[in-house]
Amino acid sequence: MLFWFIAIAVTAIACAALFYAAGSRAVNAGTPELDDANSHFRLVLAGIDADLAAGKLGEAEATAARGELAREILRLKSETGRVAGTGPAFGRTTLLAGLGGVAVLALGLYALLGNPDLPSQPLADRSDVAAQQIDIDAAIARIEAQLTANPDDLRGWTVIAPAYLEMGRYADAARAYRRMMELGEPTPDLQTNLAEALLLGAGDAGSDEAIALLRAAADADPSHAMSRLYLASVLTGQGHYDEAIPFWNAALALSTGDEPWLTAAQQGLAVAQNGGVAPANAQEAEMIGQMVGGLADRLAAQGGSVEEWTQLVRAYLVLGDTARAQAAYDDAVAAWPQAFDRGELDTLALGAGLTLNGATP
Amino acid sequence: MSIELGHFALILAFAIATVSAVGGYAFWRSGQRIALVLSQGAVLQFILVAVAFAALIQAFVTSDFSLLLAANNSHSLKPLIFKISGVWGNHEGSMVLWILILVAFGAMVAAFGRRLPSDLLALVLATQSLLTAAFAGFTIFTSNPFARLIPAPIEGNDLNPVLQDIGLAIHPPLLYAGYVGFSICFSFAIAALVSGRIDQAWARWVRPWTMLSWTFLTLGIAMGSYWAYYELGWGGWWFWDPVENASFMPWLAGTALLHSALVMEKRNALKIWTIFLSIITFSLSLLGTFLVRSGILTSVHTFASDPTRGLVILTLLALVIGGAFALFAFRASTLRQGGLFAPVSREGALILNNLFLATAVGAVLVGTLYPLLLDALAGTTISVGAPFFDLTFGTLMAPLLLVLPFGPLLAWKRADILGAAQRLIGAAALAIFATILISALGGVSISLAPLGLLLGFWVAFGAIAELVDRSKLGRIPLAESARRLFGLPRSAWSTAIAHFGIGITVLGIVATTAWETERVTTLNPGETTELSGYTIAFDSFAQVPGPNYISDEGRFTVTAPGGGTRQMLADRRTYVASGMPTTEAAIETYGFSQLYLQLGEPLDDTHVVRIWHKPYITLVWLGALFMAGAGFLSLTDRKLRVGAPRRAAKQTPQAAE
Repeated sequence: MLFWFIAIAVTAIACAALFYAAGSRAVNAGTPELDDANSHFRLVLAGIDADLAAGKLGEAEATAARGELAREILRLKSETGRVAGTGPAFGRTTLLAGLGGVAVLALGLYALLGNPDLPSQPLADRSDVAAQQIDIDAAIARIEAQLTANPDDLRGWTVIAPAYLEMGRYADAARAYRRMMELGEPTPDLQTNLAEALLLGAGDAGSDEAIALLRAAADADPSHAMSRLYLASVLTGQGHYDEAIPFWNAALALSTGDEPWLTAAQQGLAVAQNGGVAPANAQEAEMIGQMVGGLADRLAAQGGSVEEWTQLVRAYLVLGDTARAQAAYDDAVAAWPQAFDRGELDTLALGAGLTLNGATP
Repeated sequence: MSIELGHFALILAFAIATVSAVGGYAFWRSGQRIALVLSQGAVLQFILVAVAFAALIQAFVTSDFSLLLAANNSHSLKPLIFKISGVWGNHEGSMVLWILILVAFGAMVAAFGRRLPSDLLALVLATQSLLTAAFAGFTIFTSNPFARLIPAPIEGNDLNPVLQDIGLAIHPPLLYAGYVGFSICFSFAIAALVSGRIDQAWARWVRPWTMLSWTFLTLGIAMGSYWAYYELGWGGWWFWDPVENASFMPWLAGTALLHSALVMEKRNALKIWTIFLSIITFSLSLLGTFLVRSGILTSVHTFASDPTRGLVILTLLALVIGGAFALFAFRASTLRQGGLFAPVSREGALILNNLFLATAVGAVLVGTLYPLLLDALAGTTISVGAPFFDLTFGTLMAPLLLVLPFGPLLAWKRADILGAAQRLIGAAALAIFATILISALGGVSISLAPLGLLLGFWVAFGAIAELVDRSKLGRIPLAESARRLFGLPRSAWSTAIAHFGIGITVLGIVATTAWETERVTTLNPGETTELSGYTIAFDSFAQVPGPNYISDEGRFTVTAPGGGTRQMLADRRTYVASGMPTTEAAIETYGFSQLYLQLGEPLDDTHVVRIWHKPYITLVWLGALFMAGAGFLSLTDRKLRVGAPRRAAKQTPQAAE
């Protein structure tokens, strides 16, 4: 409401100013129309005289200049008279109509485009509102801004590091954890977190730095489960099963029984114990066993394509049954004696460490 | 509420401008009253747009991100100066600045134009209002700077880091004052065409406006060039980039206009050509706006790559330019031609100047637009680069510069070219001597460079020759000479200074182009390299936080060939909000030469460092400063100078053959 009051007042003032500008108190009213041109010629003439007096012009040049000026004045006089006053009359009604047009156009257009009720929201007034409806990107931007101004703010880094991790900005998270370690003590938690950020940033490949950090954390605190957990996981991923098993066991030993990572740790231990192959659970194993058995029976009875034999060997390998895989492979070689036909099968067998009986790779 | 009041002020200014334009064209013949109303309207438009602009600044300064423009282009951490300059560091805000300068010029005409004939004043202000209405309408309807964003974000997106520089506070306002100032000449030209009346008084009015705009444009271009030089980190000062050409074409046309308006003011000649140039110059200014705003070109100037806006600007451009030229075609023949003059005369020399400048505009225009048109029509991408411009533009400028010193020494109407040549012998001898001296001292090999130097010295000394000649130096006692020298009209001084500035710029261009040296190397802190006799030691490298960025700083110590060491600090900044990096080159000035050092990206534990030695490069901009200074000096001289004609020589009877 206040806005419209001001807007209308401003419009009224502008229109009044325009209206009175056209009033009787015209500034150059009564000036003859030709006056300006004449005054210009008078200036030129004065200029010629002044230059002559100052010796900048010769007498002959001054005469020539005066002559030119006279010709110009004559030409102007002979031209058709002035046009002023010949057009349509510009009366008070016309002016009022124009001013009405201004008011309607301005207020109407603003009503269409403007947001009269929206208050200004400078930053200083906005911080309280902001706190309530904080969204993570903006909050992070804000903390970043503070940290740029004051990079020694440990609290800021503590807040922002997990947020980075959550947002997938692993490099930034690693930078934040490093900064925290510089500012404070390198606690096992920090070391583990930094290692986590490094591991996530690098994909599956665990870096030496991450492993070193995790080992340091595990050594520093014999009851630190998370560092052992990550270490076990990384070592398992790298194929160092023998090294991984004690860490899995240690982590499981430290658990109280309701940790979210418990199942994952048990599976990890099983994988490590099983030489890198995940053992399926009993029910699944039974089902898979039935399917594999069906395929094996069919192939033994009727024979089959190299692809089917390959499928069978792979199934045994996945189940961890190396002996049967070897037997199935030997049968397959018997069924398809030409090495040329068994390209993929031999590759699989070689990779799984089966003996290539009678077959030359 | 200030944002909304600003919005309303802009709309009210648009409404007043619209009604002023319509009323002005309908009633320009009716007498004094309409001119008075339009004058008042012009002042009101200025006040209202200034209010709107102030509201934008207020929102940026208080980090009011409920204003979409501020949220997109500001950040609470930005230093105050960049919060303010950030207002026009984007498409919408820069349009408001454009309009603000447009209405400021309109208000100035209204304030100083009380003595103009009422019909001329009414037509000028109506045309000015039409332009305001067009551009304010474009801004309000297609790129409204007052759009709101609710809820307001906590933090803004920050301004393009390249633009976070003092250059943004100076370059656009100066450049716009130049571009937009030519709108006054345009409006006067339209008024002359509509009323069918053009006289010396008209020219007397147009010339100062041309001078003012040209001066601002000169400063704006020079500032832009220097900004690009130190900020973009390529160490170049002119790239014949379409955006640069867009500002250079109005400058060339404006320079021509300046000289032809001079002829018209003094001698009442070249009227139609002056009108034509007025229209061309402003059209080229608009073309520049269109080129950089339409998204056709990609550069730091391309704020809005929105095809709709480009189309609207193109339509506006077509209407304004097309309308003006149609009017010119219909009405130019009704205007009376001006005075006569002999081919060899001051007028003739100025026509020669116009001829060369106009051709140069044509060459730059073709080089700028041809690749764009080819791309749009045939889909073929070609690049017209520096070689084309250097060749065409250089070929056109060389003869112009060669004859430039003759111009001011020629008399009006008919002149004696031999006499002028005699008076230039001293300057020519000095120029040749200086060139030979420098070439011999520098051991310059045979190339174009000495010729370029010769040209530069010739222009510079030739400009001074006029002053020397008019003060009768050496022919009368020294004190008398000095008295005459300081008694010379300021217009004579400004001519000499401006032409001297051109010579200086030419010298700078030639020297830096011919003798620039460059070294790209990898350095570690503690290591040293050398370039053109300067020894550069990389002292240290550190990460330092700035207000809204983190900076990788390299500190260097430079030992000059003549001894003496200075510190240089080059850094690479990474801005927090955008994550964008910028390079801040370290520049150290030795005399007129500069050492330019740029810290490159780190490369396996070492740093790529680029170093240039640019001999006499500051002369390029110093020359522009001379030209602009001359412009201001000329503006202070409001006394009418008589262009007195030279009387025809008595015909001596020719011997019969």
